[in-house]
Amino acid sequence: MWGGVRGGGGLAARLLGAARSSARSKQELFSTSSMLSKQKDKSAASKDGSPEGAAKKQEDGAGTPKQQLLDIIGDMKVEVSYRKKLQQLKASESKKQAMAKLEGPDSEGSVPQGVTEDTQRGKPLNPELVKAASAVASSLPRNKKQTESELLAQLRRHEETTDQQKKGGIINIRNVISEMTIKRQSPAQRGTRTSRRISLQLDEDDKRLRRERSSALSMDSRRSLKVGKRLNIFTKASTEPEHALETVSSPTIWDLEFAKEVAAVTAQPPRNGFEEMIQWTKEGIMWEFPIDNEVGMEDDAEFHEHIFLEKHLEGFPKEGPIRHFMELVICGLSKNPYLSVKQKVEHIEWFQKYFEEKKELLQEI
Amino acid sequence: MAARRVGAGCWQRALWLGRRCRLPGGRESYRSSSSSTALGKTVDNSQVTQEEIVLPRRKTWDKLAVLQTLASTVNRDPTAAHYMFQDDPFLMPRNAVNSRLYSLSKESGRNAAKYIIKNFPQYFDKTFAEPNIPCLMPEALTPQTEGLSEEALRERIHLRMVKESVDMFDQLLQAGTPVSLETTNSLLDLLCFYGGGEPRPEKEQEEKEGLEEPEVNASEQKAPKKRFQRSSQSSGPKWRENNHAERIFKIMPERNAHSYCTMIRGMVKHEAYSKAYDTYIDLLNERHKADVHTFNALIRAVPYLKDRFTERWELAKDFLTQMAQQKVQPTLLTFNSVLKSLRRCGGVGRTMSLLVLKEMEALDIEPSLASYDHLLSVYYKGVDAPSSDIISEVLNEVEKRSFTAQDPDDASFFTTAMQVCCDLKDINLAYQVNKALEKGDNWKFLDVDRLNIYWSKFFSLLCMMEQIEVVLKWYKEMSSSLFYPTPKNILDLLQALDAANQLEVIPSVWEDVKQLGFGRRQDLLEEFLSLMSRDQHPSEIQLAFAKCAEEIKAVHEPAGQVQVPLEWTGSALGNVVVLFARAGRTQDAWKMMECFQKTNRIPTDKVMDEFLNCAKQTNCPDEAIKMVKLAASLGLLSSQRLKSRTEEEFELSETQKKALESIKWDGDSSDSDSDSDSSDSDRE
Repeated sequence: MWGGVRGGGGLAARLLGAARSSARSKQELFSTSSMLSKQKDKSAASKDGSPEGAAKKQEDGAGTPKQQLLDIIGDMKVEVSYRKKLQQLKASESKKQAMAKLEGPDSEGSVPQGVTEDTQRGKPLNPELVKAASAVASSLPRNKKQTESELLAQLRRHEETTDQQKKGGIINIRNVISEMTIKRQSPAQRGTRTSRRISLQLDEDDKRLRRERSSALSMDSRRSLKVGKRLNIFTKASTEPEHALETVSSPTIWDLEFAKEVAAVTAQPPRNGFEEMIQWTKEGIMWEFPIDNEVGMEDDAEFHEHIFLEKHLEGFPKEGPIRHFMELVICGLSKNPYLSVKQKVEHIEWFQKYFEEKKELLQEI
Repeated sequence: MAARRVGAGCWQRALWLGRRCRLPGGRESYRSSSSSTALGKTVDNSQVTQEEIVLPRRKTWDKLAVLQTLASTVNRDPTAAHYMFQDDPFLMPRNAVNSRLYSLSKESGRNAAKYIIKNFPQYFDKTFAEPNIPCLMPEALTPQTEGLSEEALRERIHLRMVKESVDMFDQLLQAGTPVSLETTNSLLDLLCFYGGGEPRPEKEQEEKEGLEEPEVNASEQKAPKKRFQRSSQSSGPKWRENNHAERIFKIMPERNAHSYCTMIRGMVKHEAYSKAYDTYIDLLNERHKADVHTFNALIRAVPYLKDRFTERWELAKDFLTQMAQQKVQPTLLTFNSVLKSLRRCGGVGRTMSLLVLKEMEALDIEPSLASYDHLLSVYYKGVDAPSSDIISEVLNEVEKRSFTAQDPDDASFFTTAMQVCCDLKDINLAYQVNKALEKGDNWKFLDVDRLNIYWSKFFSLLCMMEQIEVVLKWYKEMSSSLFYPTPKNILDLLQALDAANQLEVIPSVWEDVKQLGFGRRQDLLEEFLSLMSRDQHPSEIQLAFAKCAEEIKAVHEPAGQVQVPLEWTGSALGNVVVLFARAGRTQDAWKMMECFQKTNRIPTDKVMDEFLNCAKQTNCPDEAIKMVKLAASLGLLSSQRLKSRTEEEFELSETQKKALESIKWDGDSSDSDSDSDSSDSDRE
């Protein structure tokens, strides 16, 4: 999918270049763009079968090439977001579950507010943040202390949820891993899998080699391996009934042992440390590489949604201490892998509401 | 490639990316400063840039991808032993015997640990690992279900407890509980597979690398025997008359095709071939159909069912025709079985095997390495004047593909092919085989002992056919990191050195030979000595040769109680003398001369001449006189000639002249003289 879209982008860029170099006539430009649209049509048809939009737009899109280009890009976007929606639909259930889990700490955090929380946790907040918060507070005419502490309390709450979910996250990872290990259960199952894999490989090999063979057949005819009659005992059967038979019967001890024997043919001691690690990974002894932080990505938020949070600052003033404060907040949030995107947005929204409430006071200055 | 993949999944990287590229918002990002206030440029721009940045949502990849990429960057180190050995100077194997010992001890340690875990699972009840690692924990080998039931029987069958299963089956029958056909069949499977015996406890060992013996002391003659032993071992106990499987099969109230099939397979596996054939006839009479595995087993049994080649082929063809009649689709293994049987069909096999390959092609069944292996041995085993047509065609086919194991016989292809190359003395074919071996994962088909056979054959061929520079390059590359040369390889190498007139390399080869543990092989020592002593060389080479000769001499002398010294042969003694003499070590040479008498050997004229030359060069008339005396005492014809030479060439004092004169008249009774002489010179 990405390759396709990216390819489209490349084409678009090339087209742009063409447009800029005005040496070409309009006619030519039009022809290239229509070709592009044809390609687009094809790919769209093969993907989700909704190329009408593109075609329609192409019809009345006889205006400037730029307009066409934008249409095309817009189309691509639609397709992408459409796919995303599908994915979201699929993942919505798991998302709901996740949200239900997350609500616990949230509600808990919102109960107590005020100065008492300062003492609740010994962990000091980032001094820079505190400074920014006090700057915001000092920009207000009254209740400086209270504002500051309220802001700090919210920040601290954020930290707490983070901590809680950090632990929760670890547990989640553990669950994931234990699921992974549970998968290997009985040797019998393992056997089926290997034997099935082998048979799959056979099939693949056959297919691939069949192709090679058919291409090589014509020139190989003079060889003695190839010249001559065949036995003419068997007739070629379609592979499908064979497949059905294989899947029905459960593997016997014969099948298991044969699979083992075949596997032992190419079983080699590791030749270097990496191969040893591969072996350990297969045996389940070693932690699986890569060790990444994509484990928690099931909540269907892409990483840029986690990181690029500026778009949520639209409702805030464009400059001034509040802006500065909020940019620090989103900077911290963007580096926090333990909160979900929704929590991050809620966090920002809380500040927005808070500053909205204090708007009158701000106006007074 | 891997690095990029790693990066893509990383938050840090994402942040870094974020700083460098344009954001979806359409402006540069300055995350932690408040100076960026220019919001929202033109809408068009933002749309364009939005499409430029395509951030992949998530990359799911194989857990082995990183490791595999890393592993592919590591090459073999020609100076180091195999990775399986401990990286410690003391524990690095330097020869075949050590490498076998070390790999075996490593593996047996592992097996001992496994044995403890298996036999005392009660001490391993704690799961320390988080997450748990199942393969390090004892397996549940005790049946969970108690009592007498079909369920319990099935569990015992699953756990492969042969005896318990049979007992429970009998008890169930006695109790009058019918056992379902399915369960009885799986019990039959178990019994037939193990041939009535218990599964051998060292089953796991077989698969392990350590026990695939690097059988190095054994050269080519021994190796096939070893392989044969193993293959017969894997078939386990022979099928006995009226064993449990047969008994249960007889008392079964109803039998389906599976019951017959598993009986036939068991009988073939455990070498009851004619019984298997009878059972197959029974199966046909009962109007059942055999499955493809059963046919494969029957076809493999063909050579044992019929004596004459044509009859064998007719029978195999019969089975194939019956398969076609019963609409059983053949597999690769069917044709491999046919080819394997054709190996024992003499000339019939040669014509028919090509037909079989054509049939495979017509059915779109791609041959595996085992098919080609069988084909090669059909065409080249015991053939007087083989032509290279078939093998070059086979190699052209093999070169195109990277193989996966599909047949247990796949493993022997490369050694067979290399053997054929050796028989044909065709180095180019050997290079082709080697190229095919290096392709893809093909190298995995050579386990440790096959690897040794393969490379030693290849090396012998190289020595025979290649330029000496190429041979030495391969030797440096392969020796002791890839395989341990056999004594025959060393002999071949020496011959190649001789042919190329590069005898100055011999001392370094001698060093290797000592390391390889061949320092006491008589044939090798003889070859070394004769090559070194044959021609005169520049003095420094002669000195190096003399050093080798000294070491060879040491092997023949009693040194401690551990090793019995080797017997001197006449030629070896003479060669050592010559080598010492040429290096100007007169005293050493004289001591060797004395050994002639001690061991009742006769020095040749050449040896004595060399010794005289040496004595003359170093100006040692005493030694010359002693030598003449020795020759006289041994009653050699040349003693007179030697005496006159001594008189002419040396400036002798009066006493020396007298001594020389007295020798002649001593004749046969000079024993006492020479004895006293030798005791004189023994003072060192």
